[in-house]
This record gives sequence, C-alpha cells and structure tokens, in this order.
Amino acid sequence: MISLDLQKQLEYILNCSVVTSNRSLEDMYKFMGPSFENATIEKGQYIEGDGDVWLIHDLHADYCEIIEFIGRKLNPTEQQLIVMLIFNKPSTIVDNHYAGMSKQEKQATKLGEWLQEQIDRGTTTGYIPDHLVLANSFYNDMLPILLVADGSTQLKGSYAELDKLLRSFLSEDALLIPLGHDEWLIWGPMTLLKDEEAELEHEEDETTEDLLTNIVLGLHDMLASEWLGESQLAITYPNAPAKMMIETVTTLRESINIGRKFHPSSNIHLPWMLRLEALLYAIPEAQRQKYLEQSLKRAELFVEPEMLATLDTFFSLDCNVSETAKKLYIHRNTLLYRLDKLKQETGLDVRLFRDAVLVKIILLLYKVTKSY
Amino acid sequence: MAGVRLEGIYKRYPGSERASVTDVNLDIKDKEFLVLVGPSGCGKSTTLRMIAGLEEISEGKLFIGDRLVNDVAPKDRDIAMVFQSYALYPHMNVYQNMAFGLKLRKFKKADIDKRVREAAKILDIEHLLDRKPKALSGGQRQRVALGRAIVREPQVFLMDEPLSNLDAKLRGQMRAEISKLTKRLETTTIYVTHDQIEAMTMGDRIVVMKDGFIQQTASPEELYNHPVNIFVAGFIGSPSMNFVSGSLSEQGGEVHFKASGVDIVVPEGKAAVLRSKGYVGKEVVLGIRPEDIHEEPVFLEASPKTIVSANIEVAENLGHEMYLYLNGIGTDTVIARVDGRSTLRDGATVKLAIDMNKAHLFDKETELNIFEN
Repeated sequence: MISLDLQKQLEYILNCSVVTSNRSLEDMYKFMGPSFENATIEKGQYIEGDGDVWLIHDLHADYCEIIEFIGRKLNPTEQQLIVMLIFNKPSTIVDNHYAGMSKQEKQATKLGEWLQEQIDRGTTTGYIPDHLVLANSFYNDMLPILLVADGSTQLKGSYAELDKLLRSFLSEDALLIPLGHDEWLIWGPMTLLKDEEAELEHEEDETTEDLLTNIVLGLHDMLASEWLGESQLAITYPNAPAKMMIETVTTLRESINIGRKFHPSSNIHLPWMLRLEALLYAIPEAQRQKYLEQSLKRAELFVEPEMLATLDTFFSLDCNVSETAKKLYIHRNTLLYRLDKLKQETGLDVRLFRDAVLVKIILLLYKVTKSY
Repeated sequence: MAGVRLEGIYKRYPGSERASVTDVNLDIKDKEFLVLVGPSGCGKSTTLRMIAGLEEISEGKLFIGDRLVNDVAPKDRDIAMVFQSYALYPHMNVYQNMAFGLKLRKFKKADIDKRVREAAKILDIEHLLDRKPKALSGGQRQRVALGRAIVREPQVFLMDEPLSNLDAKLRGQMRAEISKLTKRLETTTIYVTHDQIEAMTMGDRIVVMKDGFIQQTASPEELYNHPVNIFVAGFIGSPSMNFVSGSLSEQGGEVHFKASGVDIVVPEGKAAVLRSKGYVGKEVVLGIRPEDIHEEPVFLEASPKTIVSANIEVAENLGHEMYLYLNGIGTDTVIARVDGRSTLRDGATVKLAIDMNKAHLFDKETELNIFEN
C-alpha cells in the first residue's frame, strides 16, 4: 500500500479524505452495483460508486487493495497524475495494453500475465485469484493443451481467430489463454474424452493416454491446415484449472522443451512418453557429455544416420525385428546384419534388454548433446 | 485448378552448413500428377512442406497459379494435404471430419452435405459416415483422410507418403485408387514417396532427388530408359540396375568394354558417341538392367559379341520370373531376370548375352550417363 506521507499529501492536495483498505469482490459488487457484472478489474483502474472513487492498487486471490477517495470525484487529469505518482507510469499505458481486446480476450490476457508472473517468481502451485477465473468450468476437470506456433515470423495469429477456430474444433466450452510470444494455453472440456457410443461398445479399448494423444494429433493436423501452419503441442492429464494451472503450464512447457531437444522432428510432446528424457535432462551437462564421450569412443557407428534411424525404429517398435524391417522397407536379414555389425563394433547387442537400455540412453544423450 | 511453380527454392536450417533443399526449379502443370521421389533425407518432404506452407522458404519464389504464396498461410493457399501421419479428428464422426474444413469456410449446409456425400461415394465410405475414427480400419481411415482433402476441391493436392502406414496389399489397392481419383478430379497433385514403384505407377512425371538437389525430372519411361546419372539409374527399377566397372578399348575397328570376366563389343552407334567424346581408353561404368541379360538360345545366337560366362550363386524362382544372382561378371554380384520356366539352378555355370543396345555407360568420375549428357 502507499506510505502514510503520500496518503496525507494526497488528502491535502485533493482536499478530501484518502484511506487505504482491503476489499472483497462482494464489497466491490456492492460499491459498483449491476455494472460490476460487465466490468473488468485491473491494477490502476478507477471505479466509481456512490459519491466515492476507488483506485485499485493491487489484486489478490480473494480481495483487492484499494485507495478510497471519500466524497470526491476525480477528473481525468487528476486520475492520470495520481496513477503516475503511485505506479510510476502513466495510466494510459495500463489502458492501451488491453485496447481493442474483447472482454474475454482481456480477461484471458490478464490471466496469462498473472500466470507468467507467478512462474517468473518461482511459484509452483497456487489457486487462481477469483477475479481471474474465466469460467465456472475452471473449478472442474478440463483438458490442458499447450500450443507453441512455429512458423513464419511474418504470420501472426490473433486471439479472436484462434479462439473461434478452437471453439469450432474442440467445443464451445474450450478456453484459450495467451501466454507469451506465440504461446497459448488451451483448456478443452472433458466431453472430448467421453464417447457415448464407445462406452456402450468397447470402453476398455483405449487408455486415457491414447485418447489424449489422438486429440492432440487431430488438433495438430487441424492447426496445420486451418491456421498458420506448423506448431508444437503438449497435452497432459485432466485437472481443475482453478487450482492446478501453474503446475500444468510448468509441466507442459517442460514437455515441449525436453521433447524439442530430444525429438526435434516431433511436434507432439507427451509428458508420459518423456520420462526417461526428463531424467536424463536433469543430469548436469558436463556429466552427460562425459558419459557420451566415453560411450561414443567405443563406436562412431552409433551416430551414422542409417544406424540412428534403424535403432530409433527398432526401439519404437519394442525391439521387434520383423516389424522394424517392414517399417524401414528393408529385408529382415539386412536389419540383422546391421544389428550384428553394431554388436561387433560396440559389444552391445540391442536384442538383449540390458544392452538395449544402454544404447537407448546413449542415443538420447547424443541427440541432446548435439542440440547444444 | 492451377499449376505450381518453384523458382530457385532453397531451404536452410539455422546452424546447418548445408542447405536441405538447393535451387529447386519446377514447373508443375495444371492437372499434372508429379511425384517427388528419393531416399530418406533427400529433401523431398521438405520441398512439399514448403509448398504446403509448413516450412518457411529460405530463398526463391513459389507460385500457385499466378499467385506468389511465399508468405501466405497454409489455410489460404487453396491446397489440401494428406500426410503419412494423417490424424483424423477423434471426437468427430466421419461426416464431421470431412465437413469440418467446409464449415469453417462458411459453406452452406446443403453444399457441405452434397460435397461430403459425393466424396464418400467416390471413396466407397458412405456406410461409415456415422462412425468415429476409432471404429475404422487403417484403410478406411486413409480413405476418410483423402475424403477430407477431396471435399475442399482445392487447386492442388499435396500428399506425403500417404500410404506408408498401410500394409502391402492395401497399399497396392490404394495406389490404384488414388491414381484413378486424381485423374477423375483433374486436380494438380504433388506426391512424395520413397517407393519407386509408387513413383513409376502413379506419376505423370517424376522428380528424383538426392541430398537436396534435383537429379532428374522426367516421365517414368524416360527415367527408366534414359537415366542421366548412376544415382537415378540405380534408384529407379527393381531389382536395381547392375553396375560393372571396366574400361573401353579399340580393337579391330570395334569398341570393347572390358572388366573382370567380361569382354564385350559396344554396338557401332554407341561406339561412335564414345569415340567422339573421347572415352575410348578410359575407365567407365557399364549399367545394365536385369531384364537386359538374356539366357535364351535365340538371343545368344544373335549376339555372339556380348556373351559372358557366369556362375549362378542363387536362382530365385518367383513363378512368373526368375532372378539369377551371378558371379563372374565384374567384381560384384550381378542380377539377371529370366523366364520363370527356366531350368537353371544354383551352382550352374551359364552363358548369357548382354543386350548392349539397352546398356548404359557412365563416366567414372562424374557418374553422368555418357549417352544422355
């Protein structure tokens, strides 16, 4: 809050009583009356009630810090000067930032800014302040997806365009929160996971992970053809945005970050598929490099593009020789020859579980070291 | 409908010394079915993705019709894409999957319905319109992905290995269906594949790429019969063309090709070219397709100057034809494709005649086809 000195000076200049208080949203509603419903509440904003003027000094989860000017209306010049004095910046800057935004976009942008502020401060958990809750559905489970647009620097997506697209594609209940430069948080309704027909027929067929993967793959395809082009996407398990949003954004960002480093050709990053990668990434860089240097000394063969592609496919198909040969369009004997060659040069036989684990780790470390 | 023109297109990724795609120039005609083919990492998919707008073009110009589209978003390029990793929208049924793009473009309900049902009829998926993707087989999903592209009636179809997730039998069926479909719709199509059989059977023209460079652009017949270099000659055809390193020499007024176990005469027409280009006395690579090596007595009698003797390492009988894996013609194994009724067996020594009229000779250093450059 403001200092007592400043408070006294304001009282003297404005010739009115100036008090500071903490007010709940209910107090604000009482003060503003019905206009509260359509109002946006932000730092540095003036609101007028019955004869008094309140200046919102700060926002918290369930209350606001207010400077009350009792029995005195403030003209625009006085309002600007006071904001300059208290916040050390002109009030127009506060206003212009949101100029031209719809109420929905303004609210979503503020929520995004608040989220970023929390993450920057190192906060890892916490509830969203009530005034930033975009919809009642935030208190129930929803599907969180993080979208990072790749693409051209000349093509920029607008909030309104993407919001409309997502509502058409996912559901009218989908919510979009702009985070940073070309980064968006999407919350989809749980109905996306539920399929009435399937429940009747064979509900055991698909796991939650399968369902989430299919949703994000479909979304990726749709965005590629109906929006600005290529994008990176991460999805995680459903949760209630009101209490889990900070953790969710952190998890999804980490997935995209780790996914891009370890699997640069992939655009879909799934936290449950990146557990080993996350573990390896947590090892200090110097140690990772040392281990890799020692391993690669045994064979440069690992890093030949043909061998890399062969092993990647072999591991993605659960070390199945026939399936791998089929996928790579090579004869089974050709594949066996390559695996034998690897065994000969490195002493590691990827058909054995123990060696397969080692080779998988070496390959992952090679990818992440290469991208430094 | 429209053609597509690529003028001096390059793709460079940050931090990479070498361009992934270098100076690609292509003029794809309206209604043409063009196939980009080449091994993994040759730049074919990157080229297609630049046309789609999914990759930025580092240098050069891309036109769809007469419109420069370098900075146009994918959705505004009037193209429809079908990719290897096509993903149907899991929460929508087949009808909704196909209708979604049109709904976004604010088509009238009646128009959407007409287009979706027409496309479903063409693709024989009318009975699946109410089903969700997970209740479909791989082939049916592929048809829906195609349907999603067809209903848009775009200027250009872009397809990146759309059949690679299907099993061999289904792939063969869908290959024929896509060919029929694009001819019927008369839509310009650019199709990427690593599979030279797909390329040969589907394309009006084929672009063979390697290391980001176009090697040759030609009709399937032209590519097969007149490859410009060793890479194209070896890439197109299955089994691949045989290559035998040797040298040319003048003997008794004839040009001979000599290699380990080989001394055959080059026909006069070709010999004249070799003489005029100064290849006599130099090392070259002989390229000969498996079907141009003959064991029939009639052919042997007619070609006494191109007969070689070889040992059959393995004779693979496929029923209608037989592959002979031969030792003794140059240093590497040579494959001959002969009649399936042949009585030749493993271990036998056999006399064969090489059809030198169909043979190719390549410069050893540049790897260019001496007769085509």
